[in-house]
Amino acid sequence: MTDQWTVVVGIKQVPDEDDVTIDPDTGTLNRSGADSILNRPDRNALEAALEIKDQVDANVIAVTMGPPQATPVLEEAIAMGCDDAVLVTDRAFAGSDTWPTSLVLASAADYLDADVVLCGEETTDSSTGQVPPGIAAHNGWAQLTYAEELEPKPDEDQIVAKRDVEGGHEYVAADLPVVIAFAYGENEPRPAGLHRKIYAETEFEPEQVTAEELPIDTDRVGLAASPTQVGGMETVDPVEREQERLESPAELLETLAEEGVV
Amino acid sequence: MPDIDIDDHSDVWVFIEEHAGEVAPVSWELLSEAKGLAEELDEDLVALAIGEDLDDVAEEAVERGADKVLVADDPVFEPYRADPYGEQFRYLVEEREPDVVLIGGTHTGRDFAGRVAVPAYAGLTADCTELGIDEDGHLEARRPAFGGNVLATIKCERHRPQMATIRPGVFATADPDPDHEGEIEEVEVIVEEADTISEVVERNVGDTADITDADRVVAAGRGVEGNVEPVAELAEALDAELAASRAAVDEGWIDGARQVGQTGKNVRPDLYVAVGISGAIQHIEGMNDSDIVVAINNDPNAPIFEHADYGIVGDLFEICPELVEQLEDVDDPAEVLA
Ligand SMILES: Cc1cc2nc3c(=O)[nH]c(=O)nc-3n(C[C@H](O)[C@H](O)[C@H](O)COP(=O)(O)OP(=O)(O)OC[C@H]3O[C@@H](n4cnc5c(N)ncnc54)[C@H](O)[C@@H]3O)c2cc1C
Repeated sequence: MTDQWTVVVGIKQVPDEDDVTIDPDTGTLNRSGADSILNRPDRNALEAALEIKDQVDANVIAVTMGPPQATPVLEEAIAMGCDDAVLVTDRAFAGSDTWPTSLVLASAADYLDADVVLCGEETTDSSTGQVPPGIAAHNGWAQLTYAEELEPKPDEDQIVAKRDVEGGHEYVAADLPVVIAFAYGENEPRPAGLHRKIYAETEFEPEQVTAEELPIDTDRVGLAASPTQVGGMETVDPVEREQERLESPAELLETLAEEGVV
Repeated sequence: MPDIDIDDHSDVWVFIEEHAGEVAPVSWELLSEAKGLAEELDEDLVALAIGEDLDDVAEEAVERGADKVLVADDPVFEPYRADPYGEQFRYLVEEREPDVVLIGGTHTGRDFAGRVAVPAYAGLTADCTELGIDEDGHLEARRPAFGGNVLATIKCERHRPQMATIRPGVFATADPDPDHEGEIEEVEVIVEEADTISEVVERNVGDTADITDADRVVAAGRGVEGNVEPVAELAEALDAELAASRAAVDEGWIDGARQVGQTGKNVRPDLYVAVGISGAIQHIEGMNDSDIVVAINNDPNAPIFEHADYGIVGDLFEICPELVEQLEDVDDPAEVLA
């Protein structure tokens, strides 16, 4: 076996989408009542990283870009079994779209000497899925998105992924370093062990890294450096549905015939 | 910030996604939609095809309205890989400076779009469902947020090109016009096999059904618990396309090409029947344009009933066969009811 692999897992704290409501009077989003949780697809990425560790000698480090309040998601990652966790935090990052966000995470991956970067498929709060390919592009690394199974090949310095593609699957071998977006729901994330949980909550302190330490030119991050801007939000009236309950298949077919669709 | 002179950029580009000769329907949807944008901007509509043996694809792109088709034809592009595609596309974007670049929001499109946008320092908006041009000539890319309750408008005023991925099935495809004329240009291929950093080891691709323009769709969810048969039979009896929730796709029961929703396809049939589907926001987003929605679910509190016109609370394994039986033996399902 060759050198130990460094597996960096990018995770994010998001508002629980079930709690985000729309104020019917003002039409604005109300996130204040929403709990902050670990982005659900990131759990699959953490599990995939820990499975790599089960197979090859690897050091798994969870990384989040966010304010210090995001620390609980790092503790969750530690409780699941990550060896270490890093908070990449700087006021200069505020308002970043996917371009600077992937720059920051790409720099963090470089800083940590990553062989493999694992991410969730997308975040439930912005759902772009653009950050993992963005990280790969910033660093000129290989990428494997919509990965459903991984096979580390330490002797070849490669990872093979089973990828979901239109109409089927493909197996792609990518050279390290590689960025992987693991498909949501494609593995069973392991529960946190009690001892790890206690350790994560009482003893563990994430390392904090700033733009200067990475290093990143602060002119290249934040709102001003983001190519896209939100130009407006409109509430969309929910589609009106009859919401009628029918008792039997016969009644359903009758109704559909009246509607002219069968 | 790079020094970008916005006025140097012109033309609306549409990426023609092709795998082994088969074009992803979303590419033609985008070409139809982009025609209007190009006219509004008074710019050319350019189709870009990357792959191998693309003569037919290029000709079809002209018939479907492209003023110009750029073709990067080389074995290095077959089958698709992110790094050679991204590299070739980025090169063309930097060399020719398009104003707008539209890419289908398929797994392939979403895979490489960022590999172009990042080195080009372009704005990239994900999974749009509406496109427009504002009074200053900027692209307005609209996308649903927070379960479709909000439509966010994303703009990119200081960077070019303005890039967007667009969800399959949201735009209609216009018929090709064999008399339409356009120029086809073979471009320089700058990627070499020796420089690639990934390799496709094996590819198993079959059914790439198009559910997006079906008049009737019957979708199965996790409720079928591995037995798709009753739902497939109902689909057949109704002369409908079979579709699925993501859960049913993830379980491997139904092919991913048939997934409806935020990360699948948008459908807009006259009739949508959701069988054993709970009605998660990501699913609803893909079927909300359906005319009439029917839900069959054994949980009276399943959210799908709020998004359905007609609902039956009950076991799908009893209801589907009953429906099939009543629809059977007639060529036209409507006859039985007359
Ligand atoms: C990033 C991301 C992207 C996503 N994209 C999509 C997407 O594009 N499309 C999509 O669909 N989902 C998507 N999802 C997943 C979505 O959140 C839900 O998990 C999924 O839609 C649930 O599928 P389901 O309704 O089939 O399964 P479940 O939620 O498990 O529902 C099964 C339903 O079947 C009913 N049932 C069970 N047995 C029977 C029976 N015998 N008879 C009748 N009814 C029965 C149950 O009452 C239940 O309501 C996405 C999620 C994330 C995080």
